[in-house]
Amino acid sequence: MKPRLIVGLVMLVGFTSLLMLNFSSSIDSYVNFEQAESAFGNRHVIGTWEKDLPMGFDMTSKSFYFHMKDEAGNVRKVIYNKAKPANFEDADQLVVKGKLQSGVFYSDDMLVKCPSKYNDAKVIS
Amino acid sequence: MIGVIGHYAILLAFIAAVLSTLFYWRISNGVNSRLEPFAKWVFFAKSWLIVIASGILVHLLFEHAFQYYYVFNYTSKDLQPKYLWASFYSGQEGSLLLWILFTALVGWGLIRWTEPMYKAPVMTFMSLTQAFLISMLLGIEIFGYTYGASPFRLLREHLPNAPIFMSNPDFIPADGSGLNDLLRSPWIIIHPPVLFLGFAMMTVPFAFALAAVWKKQFREWVRPALPWALAANVFLLTAIFLGGYWAYVTLSFGGYWAWDPVENASLVPWLVGTAGIHTMLIQRKRDTGVVSSIVFAVLAFVLIVYSTFLTRSGILGEASVHSFVDLGLYNQLLGFMLTMVALGFGMILWRLKEMPSVTKDAPILSRDFMVFASAMTLFLLGFVLIVGTSSPILGRLFVDNPTPPSIDFYNNWSLPFGVVIAIKTVIGQWVWWRRTETFDDLATRILLPLIFASVVTISAVIFFDIRNISYMVLILSATFSLFGNGQILIGLIRKNPKLIGGSISHLGFAALMIGFLGAGFDKPLLDQETTEYNQAVAAGQVMGEDGFPVMQAIEMVELRQNEPKLLGDRYMVTYIEAKITNRNRPGEQEYTLKIEDIKAGTQPFFMIPTAYPMIANANAGNVSWTVDPEVRTGFFSDIYAYVAGSSHVERERERMAGVEEIALSDSTKLKTFSLKKDQSLQVDGYDITFKEFEMVDPSTMEANTTIAVRSVLEIRALGSDSTFTINPMFSIIREDSLAITKSEPLAFGNSGHEVQFVNVNPSSGEIELIIGGANRIIEPDWVLLTIERKPLVAVVWLGTFLLMLGFSIAIYRRWNETKGYEKSDATA
Repeated sequence: MKPRLIVGLVMLVGFTSLLMLNFSSSIDSYVNFEQAESAFGNRHVIGTWEKDLPMGFDMTSKSFYFHMKDEAGNVRKVIYNKAKPANFEDADQLVVKGKLQSGVFYSDDMLVKCPSKYNDAKVIS
Repeated sequence: MIGVIGHYAILLAFIAAVLSTLFYWRISNGVNSRLEPFAKWVFFAKSWLIVIASGILVHLLFEHAFQYYYVFNYTSKDLQPKYLWASFYSGQEGSLLLWILFTALVGWGLIRWTEPMYKAPVMTFMSLTQAFLISMLLGIEIFGYTYGASPFRLLREHLPNAPIFMSNPDFIPADGSGLNDLLRSPWIIIHPPVLFLGFAMMTVPFAFALAAVWKKQFREWVRPALPWALAANVFLLTAIFLGGYWAYVTLSFGGYWAWDPVENASLVPWLVGTAGIHTMLIQRKRDTGVVSSIVFAVLAFVLIVYSTFLTRSGILGEASVHSFVDLGLYNQLLGFMLTMVALGFGMILWRLKEMPSVTKDAPILSRDFMVFASAMTLFLLGFVLIVGTSSPILGRLFVDNPTPPSIDFYNNWSLPFGVVIAIKTVIGQWVWWRRTETFDDLATRILLPLIFASVVTISAVIFFDIRNISYMVLILSATFSLFGNGQILIGLIRKNPKLIGGSISHLGFAALMIGFLGAGFDKPLLDQETTEYNQAVAAGQVMGEDGFPVMQAIEMVELRQNEPKLLGDRYMVTYIEAKITNRNRPGEQEYTLKIEDIKAGTQPFFMIPTAYPMIANANAGNVSWTVDPEVRTGFFSDIYAYVAGSSHVERERERMAGVEEIALSDSTKLKTFSLKKDQSLQVDGYDITFKEFEMVDPSTMEANTTIAVRSVLEIRALGSDSTFTINPMFSIIREDSLAITKSEPLAFGNSGHEVQFVNVNPSSGEIELIIGGANRIIEPDWVLLTIERKPLVAVVWLGTFLLMLGFSIAIYRRWNETKGYEKSDATA
């Protein structure tokens, strides 16, 4: 084998291992609120908006709060430090990223399922 | 009825695509060349059927035929014609149809322009991809399994169990559910068609590469395929740019790029396509790049199919804002992808031994090595990004239920790649144009740009106080690339301006790198108070009600009408007024902000961000509001602002929800307000402004007073210039270990108004007042603003335009070359 080929192959193997190592450490599992309670750092929680519980904007902390039910059925208050995202009310699903502290989930990133592609003729009246 | 024609048009088009594949395959094998006109005819027939089906879908959309699911789901009667056009591709089925339509048109071009040697095999692969794509729209059931989702299916077929269709099978909804408000933006008219045109053109190099492998003509395919590959790249790049610009200026995503899987899904084929263009340039005369050109051409298209699979199979559901739900196409999409992978790479492996291979190593400073290494760098960057984007699949190797990787994953990996590519653009160009083949020679050539780049970098590091080493390296390499490529460009313009395409593209890349750097310095503009609060939060010094340190910083500022605030130590921002203008949408509100750059001392300017109710999406009584940011573009930095909330929005929301305004008709009714310093309330005919409060020595007050505060309220009768001051008192008296607050109502004016000072918050400086005897009280208008300074965004756009321009010049040159070659062929 040619030396350059060997060097190239070694580099490629090294590169791929490094990439996969870094990739695996930069992903996480989706968790529910109970699991997020005991976790360090930011976690992702999937859930739905609890329409009947209070929601609003806190002018002092300049943050949007609402209640979310995760996939295991736990309901927690979520405080999101940005404006209420567009399409929030008619989202089918929310993904919030943040930390749980004394029963409140503090989020700085939220993903709202874009309903244009998700609403499935739900409002035929 | 007419939808049935559309449905059958697609069915026949599918059959025609299959037939055309078979015919062209037989012709390619030299079995029966008399089939040629027939194969051509079948391909044309297929394309016309697709045109007809598309026409019918447009017709149904404009006719508001709501009995059709697609029409019902994506349009409504209030939709303007331009958005009715756009609704054609707002859903999955329509966007697939658009992709097929464009590929069919590209196929016409190929039949017209491709030379006989390649025509039949190329058309075999074009027809095959068409057959796969059309099969996604069939909507037929065979053996209990549904193939494809037809854009022409009826609502009652889509929802057979809906109660309304049980009782009345002929029910037609009066109106559709409408296009999402966020998509009602002029950008939707242009962005998706450009993207699908890029997708369609990417099929061409794929088909040519496989034709080349099949016919063992491993080099010649590049000449006709190169203009198509370049064009596909220009369209993809334009689509990526349009998407980024759309996200930036009209959606409150906060930037032009978020490493969203759907964004990556178009970037990665572009990177690999660009890698392929590089190897195509070296493979004609030498053996280097022959195999890799074919591999990259196949891979670029396979990646488009893979991206389609990711975004349309529902697999990215939790990872992306943009992805579609599964329409039941999962298996078909998977089948399409696996077939393309197996076909493409199977054919390459089958002929690998016969392909020209490199016999001896090229020196590092040679065209062959430099171009090949550059292509590999682009490819590896694409590989990194696709690994990240594939997290829902690849992540399962490491964890259950994988989330997408953090943004840092993408940033940290692309930065070193950017640096390497930036340096290679310069060295590679010297090697390419001037045959710079010794390191001494190279060193003399790059000395000047290197000196310039170092000077700029050192000045930038000192002037902007940059501490991050990777930023320093990025600035150095990007400016080196800028000066180096600039020097090469000037030389080329003198020599032969036709050849500047590549040089301009590389200059564009350098500009992009400099622009991306700006994103590291995005800065929210906040007032002094909020900045200090955020610093305290970061230091863990602010305690919340639960006794734990507060974690979240405040990212917006509150502005009261006509009360200027200094933001980011530099911009004096005043909220002037809000108006309901209905300009682009019903209920749209415009907020006028006046901004003065104190540091630059330039003329004040105005920004007008808007907010609007999303009426099209509203379910009964539940209107959600959204915003349209305003961007003021400057060469060095943009100011980006949107309204995160306002008193106007609150009032309108309450009005829409049917909440009655609380009338203060009862003169005994009292209402509490809190005011900060210099804020005012309008009480009937008076403006009351809270100027300040002062502590009063308790010993001068009645016995046992522990705290006494006097407030200074300035009162002005509306329409008058003269003001007077009143001083309501607030005190706390201790009686037998009980603290009693005391505050007397104070009358003012001559209409029986009263004001009572009931509380004070020394930390925020706010006081609470109870107003009595008023008929109408108007609180000051407020607006919550997210406002950011974003450096060098314009440089990103500049870089993108240079890339587009460079590619376009190259297309022109290569296309003429192809034509010239054919002419010389014909005359020979």
